Amino acid sequence: MTLYVKQDSPIHEIDPITKVIYALVAALLPYILPSHTVALIVLVISIILLVVGKVFRKIIPLIGLSLFLIVSLVIIQGIFRPDNVTPLFHFGPIIFYKEGLSYGLLLMLRVINLLCAFGVLILTTKPDDLIQSFIQKGMSPRIGYVIGSVLQLIPQMSATIATIKDAQRSRGLETEGSLLVRIKAFLPLIGPVIMNSLISTRERSIALEVRGFNAKQKKTFLHEVHTYKYAKVIQAVLILIFIFAILWRIFL
Amino acid sequence: MKKIIVENLKYKYPDTDQLALNDVSFEVEEGEVIGIVGQNSAGKSSLCLALTGLIPHFFNGAYGGKVLIDGIEVKTSTITDLSQKAGLVFDNPFTQMTASKYTVYDEIAFGLENIGVSREEMIERVDWSLKMMGIENIKDKNPFDLSGGQMQRVAIASVIAMRPEILVLDEPTSQLDPQASEEVFRVIQQLSQEGITIVIAEHKMEKLACFTDRILLLYEGKQIDFDTPQKVFSRDDLHDYGVVPPIFTTYCKAMGMKNKNNNTYPVTLTEVSSLLGGENNE
Amino acid sequence: MNEIKVENISFSYTDGQPVLSNIDVHFRQESTAIIGQNGAGKTTFVKLLKGLLKPATGNIYVNGMNTQEYTVAQLASQIGLVFQNPNDQIFKHTVIEEVMFGPKNIGQSTEEARQNGLLALEKMGIVHEADKNPYDLSLSDRKLVSIASILAMKPPIIIFDEPTMGQDYLGKERLKKIMKDLRAEGVLVLSIIHDMDFVAETFERTIVMNQGKIVLDGPTREVFSHEQLIRDVYLELPHATQLGKQLGLKQTFLTVDELINFNRKKQ
Repeated sequence: MTLYVKQDSPIHEIDPITKVIYALVAALLPYILPSHTVALIVLVISIILLVVGKVFRKIIPLIGLSLFLIVSLVIIQGIFRPDNVTPLFHFGPIIFYKEGLSYGLLLMLRVINLLCAFGVLILTTKPDDLIQSFIQKGMSPRIGYVIGSVLQLIPQMSATIATIKDAQRSRGLETEGSLLVRIKAFLPLIGPVIMNSLISTRERSIALEVRGFNAKQKKTFLHEVHTYKYAKVIQAVLILIFIFAILWRIFL
Repeated sequence: MKKIIVENLKYKYPDTDQLALNDVSFEVEEGEVIGIVGQNSAGKSSLCLALTGLIPHFFNGAYGGKVLIDGIEVKTSTITDLSQKAGLVFDNPFTQMTASKYTVYDEIAFGLENIGVSREEMIERVDWSLKMMGIENIKDKNPFDLSGGQMQRVAIASVIAMRPEILVLDEPTSQLDPQASEEVFRVIQQLSQEGITIVIAEHKMEKLACFTDRILLLYEGKQIDFDTPQKVFSRDDLHDYGVVPPIFTTYCKAMGMKNKNNNTYPVTLTEVSSLLGGENNE
Repeated sequence: MNEIKVENISFSYTDGQPVLSNIDVHFRQESTAIIGQNGAGKTTFVKLLKGLLKPATGNIYVNGMNTQEYTVAQLASQIGLVFQNPNDQIFKHTVIEEVMFGPKNIGQSTEEARQNGLLALEKMGIVHEADKNPYDLSLSDRKLVSIASILAMKPPIIIFDEPTMGQDYLGKERLKKIMKDLRAEGVLVLSIIHDMDFVAETFERTIVMNQGKIVLDGPTREVFSHEQLIRDVYLELPHATQLGKQLGLKQTFLTVDELINFNRKKQ
């Protein structure tokens, strides 16, 4: 289970490290320069990248999920922000102020921008390519393994959890109903989940050992993570923009 | 040179009182297929772990005696070095999948990446492994989407890709259905024909009798016998060690039907039928 | 008398892919083995009997209770299911507490639960481990604990899921005896199982499943006389049966003792 979507697009061709730098810069820029214009520009760029990457459709449900958070941010800021002075409209007895709504809008743009910026990275990059890039840059292969394996093991765990729930229900444990019932069911369900994980982890580490996991040699890689022609240029530009933004913020 | 030499091997797991392995000594020739039998906790798994260096290097504990795998001594080698001499496959297919790879092909290459094999060599070895295990048709599938039998064959493929000349298997079919078990046994026989030395711990006596050269009988960590299947299964005292011979042998023992040449009983269906065929011809 | 009536049930996990189709079967008294390849639908079928899943069409009556109308916990006093992996249920610190968990859930008093628990552990041959931590035991002993924890609930119907997996000869003999004793006490015993020899030696009736349907159902001896069909569904005959055929005998033999006695009488 990953969010990666296999497509044939120029964005998929770009190497993972460049995309990581883009995601970080794009996500942070609206925080460094708190202006609606900056946030909007970056957001539009991210959306364009998502469209070119043919993965735009996938980001919509993710935005949808956080819509509740976003909208509540706007509303709360609109009503309660301390420096609210100018009323904009009424909703019954509740007054929405211009300053608050404006700020709330900025927050909303930042959140959506964050999702889209990281969406560009996550939806167009294979997890193992990303991890391989980090390892080639010096990250410990063991940490790379842990991150990589967790992505697949957590969904696998849900099957085990379902079996454990079945096993305990079969022994007369009620799991649905009042809060008290659910609290009583907690330990019989969590106990085996933890033990199963520990045991599986142990068995798996034996399997890893006999496949050279602790080898001292330098690792090689089956797949070449493609290097992108313009990688260095783009990375340099992005970092320059970032530095520029920080300087702007400090001195202006 | 003997492929495996075990000399007075003794081992005790940390925080336990009993010896898991108590003075085990035997030698295995290149290309032999050795079956390890014994009741649960007789030491079969411990012996498999000792042949691949997990005992003592992973489990620590108290270790005595010597194990030589293809000339190198287990006590003074690393598990990584030994994994290229002797591979280990065990009973749970699921926990042998690394989970960090998304295709069977990549999964098999995992060990090769770790030991620094070149890309060309990697591809060659993975292709060979796939062919040996008859799993070329699933090379692009996600390991977790496979059946238990397929997963186990991927596990074996992943281990033999490291090109060990010895393969140790600890009850590889215990979680598989009859057909998947049959596939695994077939594949093991094929590997043996390629010259790989096989050591397999199992409860399925009828299967072991078919393709092993010698059987090692363990009881409470001690070595009771190490001889051909016919000799070991013909013993009268197997029951004392918590073991039963193949059903065919039980029958022949009761009916007094011995093999012509060597005062032992048949251990496989084929042997029974040739015995009968021989009798019918007289 | 304990019985399970399965009336024309079907089931699928996802629409359009039926896992079980039109299963109609009546379990009564006889100990019954359910055999078939992985993926044949055995586990799904057993979960339906236990009420963990509800059939899409049709009904299942466990001692008169329709599984559609009761929760799993409510059915637990009538029908017990021993799961394959003991690690999927064990969570208490001592064996005896683990074994008492199920009985207490279905309404036994602590004293009753303890008595039944100790009795069950005795039957499994591990009563001396009662105060140990289950995870200090070997996996095969832990399996015996999980069986004891269902026996202690004293259900009139027990289903086993692969009880012989990972067991050695002595473990299997113990299981055989327990199942035969349960049968003698009137408990309805069902089991999913891959070990054909164990099936032949223990169960009166055998059901063969393939691709979501029951393809053979009858006395064990009769089922194993259909050699071709057994092979067609990727199963094997018990070794004693194979030997009987090799010896040129017409009947279907289930155990090596039967074969020996038969040939001894001939001599």
